[in-house]
Amino acid sequence: MTRVVQVPASFDDRSFDQFAEACGEWPPDARLLIDARLTQWFSPYGLVGLLTAGQALKDAGLPQPLFTAPQSDDVKRYLARTGFFTHAEGLFEIHGRVPKAATGPTDALLDIRAIRAMKDVHEAVRGVSDNATRILVEQLGINPKETYGFGMALSEACQNIVEHAGAAGWVAVQSYTWRRRLGRRVVVIAVSDSGVGFRHSLEATHARQYGERWGDGAAIEAALIQNVSRFRDPGRGQGLAFIKRFIHQWNGKISIRSGTARLSIVPDWDDDAPLAEHLPRFPGAQVQITIPAPGAAAS
Amino acid sequence: MIQTIHLHHLLRESPSGDSRCLVTRPTGAAVRNSIERALEASPCVTVFLDFTEVDLLDLSCADEVVAKFLLGALASECYVVLSNLREDQIDAVDHVLRHHRLAVATVPCDEGASANLLGWVDEDTRAAFSSVVDMGPTTAELLAADLNWPFDRAQRALSTLATRRLARAEHGAFYPLPLR
Repeated sequence: MTRVVQVPASFDDRSFDQFAEACGEWPPDARLLIDARLTQWFSPYGLVGLLTAGQALKDAGLPQPLFTAPQSDDVKRYLARTGFFTHAEGLFEIHGRVPKAATGPTDALLDIRAIRAMKDVHEAVRGVSDNATRILVEQLGINPKETYGFGMALSEACQNIVEHAGAAGWVAVQSYTWRRRLGRRVVVIAVSDSGVGFRHSLEATHARQYGERWGDGAAIEAALIQNVSRFRDPGRGQGLAFIKRFIHQWNGKISIRSGTARLSIVPDWDDDAPLAEHLPRFPGAQVQITIPAPGAAAS
Repeated sequence: MIQTIHLHHLLRESPSGDSRCLVTRPTGAAVRNSIERALEASPCVTVFLDFTEVDLLDLSCADEVVAKFLLGALASECYVVLSNLREDQIDAVDHVLRHHRLAVATVPCDEGASANLLGWVDEDTRAAFSSVVDMGPTTAELLAADLNWPFDRAQRALSTLATRRLARAEHGAFYPLPLR
């Protein structure tokens, strides 16, 4: 039996729940056919989320899902340039012609990278620092001296995969214009893993104090708002604390989805709900950090 | 005697092999271990941890390199000064030190700027530190007169500096760390 999972036409953090719902219960009881033929746009969050789905199925020893590539040549070229197909090859049975190799420049500060070990975090940080300063300064008008925070936020977000997820993850960083939502350029850091999720990671050390409230939402709240960690080391929990300070400094947004909940720190330019629960279950954790250009009009 | 440890040299020898980015806890732990090994064999009582040529310092690494080093036994036997931190690196170190209620002296990159304290210190301790740095060796009586404080307040602030190894106490006088 095969379940067809339609990828939304515009696949980003807002349409992600639609995709998760189409996947059905985890682990799925049928082989998945992920149909992206009609998809016109993928955000970094959508791309790393797709890879996460493939990775979670692989980790669970389930049949390799099918993936039908977008019909649009432009979209396929874009996916190839981000490195999506390279990473997807081992996770999906890909159908439809796809470009052989990545070609042409992208606005990506960092193409999709797999995060499996700390050396991958170092490579991601090195990768972003090569390109980031130029894009952040030229496209977002950020002072060059203030660009280091992006590397620090990226490093902390990626380290969480290695330290807490217990499974592989993915990161991508991109700059583009949010015309409808904001009318400005933004930088988006998207991180996703197929691991145990916040609830499982923190359950042994923190579930008791939350009592009946304990769940996916409470676990994300404990990590993001209370800065708790599963480690007893008192120095832990500072990574997300830094990311919060960083997004506050730039009037940015962080959104963490894990299991069936999503918790966001929402700036005044966004209308997202701070806490969404009872969402369709999805493996691991997905983090999006969005930093808008400071007060400038869209370019 | 002063020993200067260039962190980018240690970073190059760390498992990451990355000589510019002080990121991730394992890298920070490896660098801290290298610092401790270097000091075990050193007769110096003051150590400068020099951040020149370090591009990026994340909080996890700042916690491993600076906070955990200060919490360790070796740091209680010497005076530690951080040098040539950039502004974003100062923020990272300050954040982790406050988290642990630790403090350290720092010498900025800018030749004209004065030494400062990073981390968790009360206002009196900070003022006493600045006074000792600016005026040189002092006593509680002199500090009390200089800052127009009661003697006990000056004594308490200087004792705190000495206990936290932010000044050197000797025969009732308090000496600044060698900051250059």
